[in-house]
Amino acid sequence: MGMFMKSLAVRASMTATLFAYALLVLTCAAWAGGEGGPDDHVHDDGPNYFGFVKDTAGKTIRDAKVTADIKGRPSVVARTNAAGAYRIPGFGKDISPNNVTISCVKEGYKQTKTLLKTRPSKTPPTAIEIECTMQQVKAK
Amino acid sequence: MPPFPSVIPAQAGIQAPFPPKCWLAFVLVLVMYADKQFEAIAQAIPLRYGQAISAAKSIFGLPIFVGEREGFFRREGLNFKIIIPIPGGSDKMIDALHDDTVDITHVAVPFLIRAALNGSDAVAVAAEFTNPIYSLVVKPEIKSFADLKGKLIGLADEAGTISISTRRLLAKNDVNNGDFRVKIIEGTPTRWNCLKRGECDAVPLGQPQDLIAQKEGFHVLGISNDAVPDFLYTVTAVRKSWAEKKRQAITRYLRGLGTALKFIRDPANRKSVVKTIVETTDTPADIAQQTLGLFFEPERRVLPMQGEINLGGLNQVIAFMAEAGLLKQPLPNPERFVELKYLQAAGVK
Repeated sequence: MGMFMKSLAVRASMTATLFAYALLVLTCAAWAGGEGGPDDHVHDDGPNYFGFVKDTAGKTIRDAKVTADIKGRPSVVARTNAAGAYRIPGFGKDISPNNVTISCVKEGYKQTKTLLKTRPSKTPPTAIEIECTMQQVKAK
Repeated sequence: MPPFPSVIPAQAGIQAPFPPKCWLAFVLVLVMYADKQFEAIAQAIPLRYGQAISAAKSIFGLPIFVGEREGFFRREGLNFKIIIPIPGGSDKMIDALHDDTVDITHVAVPFLIRAALNGSDAVAVAAEFTNPIYSLVVKPEIKSFADLKGKLIGLADEAGTISISTRRLLAKNDVNNGDFRVKIIEGTPTRWNCLKRGECDAVPLGQPQDLIAQKEGFHVLGISNDAVPDFLYTVTAVRKSWAEKKRQAITRYLRGLGTALKFIRDPANRKSVVKTIVETTDTPADIAQQTLGLFFEPERRVLPMQGEINLGGLNQVIAFMAEAGLLKQPLPNPERFVELKYLQAAGVK
């Protein structure tokens, strides 16, 4: 029974991740006028990074700058779309997700945390969901 | 007598070369030197360089990768950081200057011209690549230009020199617009994928992918240089308004870039440059070696000497754009799209 519940939870988590990813791909394509489609990068370039930028109340934030800092490599900067979503293509199959740090910035906000939402699995992930949370700060 | 003493002086009771006080002074000097080095790093000028995602794993990032890996930008007192804006693409690089994603950017000249004519204050401050060699690579079963009629050719953005020069090469060989189908694909690695998976029948590829393709049985029908005169391919661009406030950063960058270009050209550094190509483009060493041979043996003016901008080459791009219907008469002067004073300040003629 315990095993069944665990398997159910894993499946639910995978479904949620896939749903979030599908939603994100759709919204990103619409926002970028088709840019970011399948031809934009090589498929064996490791996992994509995607997710939402939200405020502390859970409301999504549009036009936030999301940076993926990769140890020993160039950084990649994306912006969130109208739905507060971002997507960053893979940087190389040899790059461990442990060497990738996601951060977000937007004027009037400060980052409070990032949350890895993709569960670790035995097989290498094709997409990693990371949510970034920011708190509104008062203008000086 | 053994070649080296088996006992070190201190163990043997022999007096060390310096008395203890001297050692203390030496350590103090060392600490002060290290402190100065840390201070220099802490005071380094931050500089964010925009790189198109299509250039990130291609040979067109070579001068910048060499400058960074060999420490030429760091030596100039820059905290140099390469940033790839997403969504990428040649036409997005000037946008990245305007939305403060980057301070300076790599850009293909036609996209700089187009942005400037649309009101951007971006200008070229250095040349990165001058005469790129693009090979028209085709499937093994395609034996001649005539075989391309009705086939799918993967081209880059129509506003860019890759597509313009490829179309010229095709026209020179009696394959005219309308004789073939087109799919727009940004970046040599992505076009190479289109050819490999069989969707595209022909694609223009830069190095090293064109050399890899030949090794894998694909044919080269011709190279873009056969169809076009010398021109200016990619440059480093900045916004004039930003540059006025950051003269020192730009001058230091240009000195670092100039050093990188000289380093690449020097045969004594070939091993190190090959290593950079291998590690940044996922290319085997023999292909990286061949790429450099293609560039320099004989000299094909693929890279500038020190980042100097050839206004004649820039004028040629304007002519290409006019020919492709992207610019109308009267054509703009090339001087409008460059700012040469920073190169002069960096000692580049």
